[in-house]
Amino acid sequence: MVRVLLRFPEKIVNQPIIAQVLLQHRITLNIIAAHVDFHGGNVLIEVPKEHVEKAVNAFKERGVFVSFPKLIEVDKDRCLNCGACYSLCPVGAISIGEDYSISFDKEKCIGSPCGLCVDACPARVIKLTKELNLSVLSDEERGSN
Amino acid sequence: MLEKKRTVEEINEKIKKGDVQVLTALEMKKLVESSGVEVAFKEVDVVTTGTFGAMCSSGAVINLGHSDPPIKIQNAWINDVPVCHPGAAVDLYIGATLMSETRPFEYGGGHVIEDLISGKEVELRATAYGTDCYPRTQLRTTITKDDLNQFYLINFRNCYQRYVCATNSRDETIYTYMGKLLPRFGNATFSGAGELNPLMNDPDYETIGIGTRIFLGGTQGYVIGEGTQHDPKNQLGTIMVRGDCKKMNPKFIRGAAFTKYGTTLYVGIGIPIPILNIGLAKKTAVRDEDIKVPIVDYGVPVRDRPKLGVVSYKELRSGTITINGKKVKVSPLSSLKTAVEIAETLKKWIEEGLFYLTAPVERLPGDTEFKPMKQREKAFLVRDIVQKAVTCREDEEIKEVAKKIIEYSVNHVVVVNDKGELTGIVTSWDVTKAVADGKSKLSDIITRKVITARLEEPIEAAARRMVQYQISALPVIDHQRKVLGIVTSEDVTKILGR
Ligand code: SF4
Ligand code: SF4
Repeated sequence: MVRVLLRFPEKIVNQPIIAQVLLQHRITLNIIAAHVDFHGGNVLIEVPKEHVEKAVNAFKERGVFVSFPKLIEVDKDRCLNCGACYSLCPVGAISIGEDYSISFDKEKCIGSPCGLCVDACPARVIKLTKELNLSVLSDEERGSN
Repeated sequence: MLEKKRTVEEINEKIKKGDVQVLTALEMKKLVESSGVEVAFKEVDVVTTGTFGAMCSSGAVINLGHSDPPIKIQNAWINDVPVCHPGAAVDLYIGATLMSETRPFEYGGGHVIEDLISGKEVELRATAYGTDCYPRTQLRTTITKDDLNQFYLINFRNCYQRYVCATNSRDETIYTYMGKLLPRFGNATFSGAGELNPLMNDPDYETIGIGTRIFLGGTQGYVIGEGTQHDPKNQLGTIMVRGDCKKMNPKFIRGAAFTKYGTTLYVGIGIPIPILNIGLAKKTAVRDEDIKVPIVDYGVPVRDRPKLGVVSYKELRSGTITINGKKVKVSPLSSLKTAVEIAETLKKWIEEGLFYLTAPVERLPGDTEFKPMKQREKAFLVRDIVQKAVTCREDEEIKEVAKKIIEYSVNHVVVVNDKGELTGIVTSWDVTKAVADGKSKLSDIITRKVITARLEEPIEAAARRMVQYQISALPVIDHQRKVLGIVTSEDVTKILGR
């Protein structure tokens, strides 16, 4: 699965674009996080790898800005297991184990739309890194948030 | 009946013979719970403790040896971190919180200490004024720990017995030495090893004092006295320690960076508690639920920060606490995992005859007080300079607001609702710009995200925020967001004189 961040500008935010894309192109996707405010909306989805290209093009055609969010990478060898990151995670992707070690659930983490834990780490071992270099996006679109 | 006792000499004799009984503090609690204090006292000779947390009062003394021609160093830098020069020609003190001049807030004295301990080469620069006996004025070289004569960790204050739980009432994220605190009690943090903490297991300092041999940074070190700010009456004891960095293990001594606060050093310390009497068996059974600390609002930057409640380490360890009726996630800042590892390593050393106990030559004081700083000037609070705010409603005409600005000769008009709660702010600049742009609706020019101040805040904190956001006034509000007044940069400047 590949994570894709969709940005809906204010003027199209009230259109049923996701539903249209699903029906028309027979794409399956998972909505991981959604946030709407007066500037428009942000929706983070997960798409099977083989549907990515189709999905990206379909959303772009409808005026949606598409980018690939950066995901986190944790250098476990340098991790202090301090837990400073734990309370910052809004989706419960960070947990404290029985032996008090800290672990990250990469499936739950939403990556660069959040990034709250990154600058809380005193050992600087959490980094946001780009996912895949997919050809469907130009470099500009792929850029960070 | 005479109270049964055990001496440090007897314990060392057992270590030599290889039949000493050692438990970690975690194991001791379980034993006392299952078999009672009497049995625990009979069976256990030593209880090992551990802690691994950020300790800002850490640092290392190094001696470089003399250069040729010799230099009496006045200023020095290692990897661009200014290291202070406490005494004679080539002795330097690397303070953990000193920050690199090229990579501030990311790399500092703590990292220099870690790098040296790991065997890395570091760059040394120094300058001097030159004397007849020390003619040299410039120095640039690289060093590793093997090049140093002495390299000793000397920490003024370590091992806080317990520490507060921090949270933030403000509307913005703050970055503190207690970590990143999200707005409106979005999270909380705490520090300390709780039931595993060395001083918590010997709260009357019966066995800890000058000369106590300890685990320090992966090797054997010593307690050299009470730490600064030692506050025994409030169960906030601290120790001063010394240890040979050349023998330390970077796993137990790590440089760290707290965003927008600065750099520090994580230091691993473990102290063996000899179970000399039954009282100590009982004390080493202390549990997380018995150790309580206040929840403190770091959103209010004064010395006596407001307290919002009390929690035990057990609740803190659960990952969630309740603040003002709301469930809040809480982060530990010190690593319990490494603390456990330290207690276990120390246990192993003693069992294997690699570590012998010492009785202190002088115990830590139990009656000293931690006084606040003596200040000659009064600290001013926002309360002292707050003015009445000129307010308006959202549905007023821009013209009306312009009139108010002229009538009261102010630059800021605070927008409030019917209940007097803050909803926005309008400046004279906004009004001028609105006229130029031909706008007439006030709601189009209101700034909604307003940076505010609180009555009980020191004015330095308010001034800092104005500089940070490049604004010249802050509405003062209460916890219900009711507008109480306004502080302006002119008024702050009058008091602070800058
Ligand atoms: S980036 Fe956000 S979602 Fe991911 S682990 Fe960090 S805090 Fe959690
Ligand atoms: S804050 Fe950093 S060092 Fe601490 S547990 Fe999280 S990832 Fe590890």
